[in-house]
Amino acid sequence: MALALEMKGITKYFSSTDVQANDNVNLTVEAGEVLALVGENGAGKTTLMNILYGLIKPDSGEIFINGEKVQIGHPDDAIKNGIGMVHQHFKLVPSFTVAQNIILGMEPNKAGFLSPKEENKVVKELADKFNLPVDPKAQIRDLPVGMQQRVEILKVLLREAKILILDEPTAVLTPQEVKELMDVVRQLAKMGYSVIFITHKLIEVMEVADKVSVMRAGKNVGNKKVSDTNIPDLARMMVGREVLLRVKKDTIQRGKPVFEAKDVSVSDVHGLAAISHVSFNVHEGEIVGLAGVSGNGQTELVEVISGMRPLDGGNLYLNEQDITQANVRDRRNAGVAHIPEDRMEVGLNLQTNLDENLIISRYNQSEFSKFGFLLGKSISRFAETVVKSFSIAAAKPGEDISMLSGGNLQKVVVGRELSGQPSFIIANQPTRGLDVGSIEFVHKTLIEERDRGAGVLLVSVELEEIMALADRILVLFRGQIQGELDAKTATEEEVGILMAGGKLSDLQTNQAKSGKESK
Amino acid sequence: MTGFFSVFTVELLNSGIRLATPVILAALGGALCNKAGVLNLALESMMLMGAFVGIVSAYFVGNSYIGLLIAMASGGLLGLVFAFLYHKYDVDLVILAIAFNLIIQELTVYVMRVMFGNVGSWSDPSINRIPDIEIPLIKDIPVLGNILSGYNIIVYFSWAVTIVMYLVLYKMKFGRHIRAVGENREAAETVGINAVRIQTMALIISGVLSALGGAFLSIGHLKLFTRNMSNGRGWTAVAAALFGANHPIGTALASLFFGLTEAFAVRIQNVTDLPPNLVELLPNFATLIVLIFIALREKLRENNARRRFRAELRAEEQQKAAS
Ligand SMILES: Nc1ncnc2c1ncn2[C@@H]1O[C@H](COP(=O)(O)OP(=O)(O)O)[C@@H](O)[C@H]1O
Ligand SMILES: [Mg+2]
Repeated sequence: MALALEMKGITKYFSSTDVQANDNVNLTVEAGEVLALVGENGAGKTTLMNILYGLIKPDSGEIFINGEKVQIGHPDDAIKNGIGMVHQHFKLVPSFTVAQNIILGMEPNKAGFLSPKEENKVVKELADKFNLPVDPKAQIRDLPVGMQQRVEILKVLLREAKILILDEPTAVLTPQEVKELMDVVRQLAKMGYSVIFITHKLIEVMEVADKVSVMRAGKNVGNKKVSDTNIPDLARMMVGREVLLRVKKDTIQRGKPVFEAKDVSVSDVHGLAAISHVSFNVHEGEIVGLAGVSGNGQTELVEVISGMRPLDGGNLYLNEQDITQANVRDRRNAGVAHIPEDRMEVGLNLQTNLDENLIISRYNQSEFSKFGFLLGKSISRFAETVVKSFSIAAAKPGEDISMLSGGNLQKVVVGRELSGQPSFIIANQPTRGLDVGSIEFVHKTLIEERDRGAGVLLVSVELEEIMALADRILVLFRGQIQGELDAKTATEEEVGILMAGGKLSDLQTNQAKSGKESK
Repeated sequence: MTGFFSVFTVELLNSGIRLATPVILAALGGALCNKAGVLNLALESMMLMGAFVGIVSAYFVGNSYIGLLIAMASGGLLGLVFAFLYHKYDVDLVILAIAFNLIIQELTVYVMRVMFGNVGSWSDPSINRIPDIEIPLIKDIPVLGNILSGYNIIVYFSWAVTIVMYLVLYKMKFGRHIRAVGENREAAETVGINAVRIQTMALIISGVLSALGGAFLSIGHLKLFTRNMSNGRGWTAVAAALFGANHPIGTALASLFFGLTEAFAVRIQNVTDLPPNLVELLPNFATLIVLIFIALREKLRENNARRRFRAELRAEEQQKAAS
């Protein structure tokens, strides 16, 4: 049987950024097969898929569907050839219902008038056929991300795609949702669909894929059967060197408490409790991991601690000083650093250059400004040292940062926040969307800060990350601390059960501590 | 006494509805553009264009109805040019609108002066005002007949547009595509909907409607063109669309509110000793208050929610302390 899809010698050069995004890339997929496409940020995965979907024109290369050569110049051509793409950022209309979104652009109608009944029926049948239950009448904006993604998949299936491209589908999902997605993907493969699954989480490759293609700097550096490879092997191919998937961490003696939250309560916009009666502390030389499924109050808690949101009850202390009423600047001056979860919107100003982004938290210190005028020279000097010590690749002081990759953007944030020797660091999802190499860097840096004596509050929905870095684990559930665990003895099961709102006593005591094995 | 009062209110309603008509038309156009995700702050210029072109073509053609049609065409053309500059050259929407508003204001005065030698205003006895029409049957209903009947065709048309726009936006495929483009343009484009075409059509329709509203001023309500005749009604329309949450019915009702305020201001000048200049400001005040209310609506709701939450927390604490 002919291959469902073959891409041959795909080459694409972007003159605007001077990047060879795809360099003679070959890729094949059979029907009923899941192909994982892996590579670091900027390796060219999305570009390759955009070419396949007709969003970008390649400089050269050929595409064959079921053995026949095809020309794809526009997404319509791709759809006609049975190719469907679920984009990294969903393309849904929030106020529309599930059915309205799935059927958008191909609504059944009589003289232009719509029939909601007919629409819901079509969608219901589609959902049943693929065993992907959805509520056709639910509004998209009320649905969790995992459900929205399901809607995107159904949208593609309604257009009769046989080859599905999923671009980093797991980046935004909770662990539970990831599991469900994996099942969906396996099921589609069983039904004869081909799935191209883009990710940079290698554990997912091992779980879901039959075959894996690795890209590095625009080149296809390996095609393997998943059964013939392993995670360290793939990581080496992706990064081009040995990487530590789990950074080394010595046990050190923690010092006195540096930060304390006492009985903190915060309301959301509707006047309901987002955080209620939360108390905990962070010591010097300690990483406290705040685990939890996203949406359980992490965002609100971090905003309160960093001073971006007023709290409604309770107190905050930094080095025994009450900072409950202190504003963001005062807190920063007192030694708080904050790596926010959204580097594009909150962490950085993408409209300006590297220098300004690096001094934005300290521009009014006498070192960088006098009488309201910025001191260009000392700012550049400072920028240079940060670029060097945090090895921010491809960035030159004075240059715009909007073209930097995700990993390097995060290094800019980390560099700015950690270069003032803070005593307390809030790291909110510090590795979200980063590739293996950058994750390694961020993890190492956080541990170095701990070893230096800083207290670190690490907020993460990635269980792996919490297990790898934390000395002590707190689990947040519905705005409350569901439990506290010593990281030395905690198992993934224990954290998992707390994250789901359960109690430790629910776990059977005879269960082996199997989740703690290290790869 | 009661008889006098009923006449008074019906008349107030009559003139409120008349004064609301140009605002309704422009506001519906503005709401449609908002729904399609393309901010149209050039309603004022489109209205002024319609007022001028309407009366001038009525004068030359000798038929005011044809004057209306030509005015609508001129507004549509303005919308098309607006869309072209926006889509082709990516001009900022606000800058584009400011340019349109300034240019049309100066252009109408200039052309008026060149053609008729007047600076402030112009009229001609040969021009006919669009006649009022009584609706058979409805006009005989007591009280309601007087409220609903006796206007010119533009007024009835504005009501029809309100309903048609509602049906199109919420019951028809085309309208759903408009809303999809407005809310998430990429979502619409990836399923093959032509966003540029939809936004262009919305801008053209808003031009047609606003210009008709303008023509209502010059040949529907009066038979006269004065410089800057739209006099901020295009901006009132922007506020009405906001106030009505871009829903056609809500937008029409918001416009009616503004029309009634204006009518009230006119009436009150006859019965009070307040300085007329001050009373004339009343509609502007109403707009201002509505805009402030719109801006603060969300904030106020959040603040109330927070206050409630804090009170609950305190009550909880006191209870704990007591026990
Ligand atoms: N439209 C574009 N114009 C210019 N450069 C681009 C464009 N799209 C991607 N690139 C560049 O091409 C490279 C590959 O990007 P991409 O395919 O998005 O990588 P990946 O999806 O593997 O993270 C990056 O260096 C990126 O900056
Ligand atoms: Mg990508």
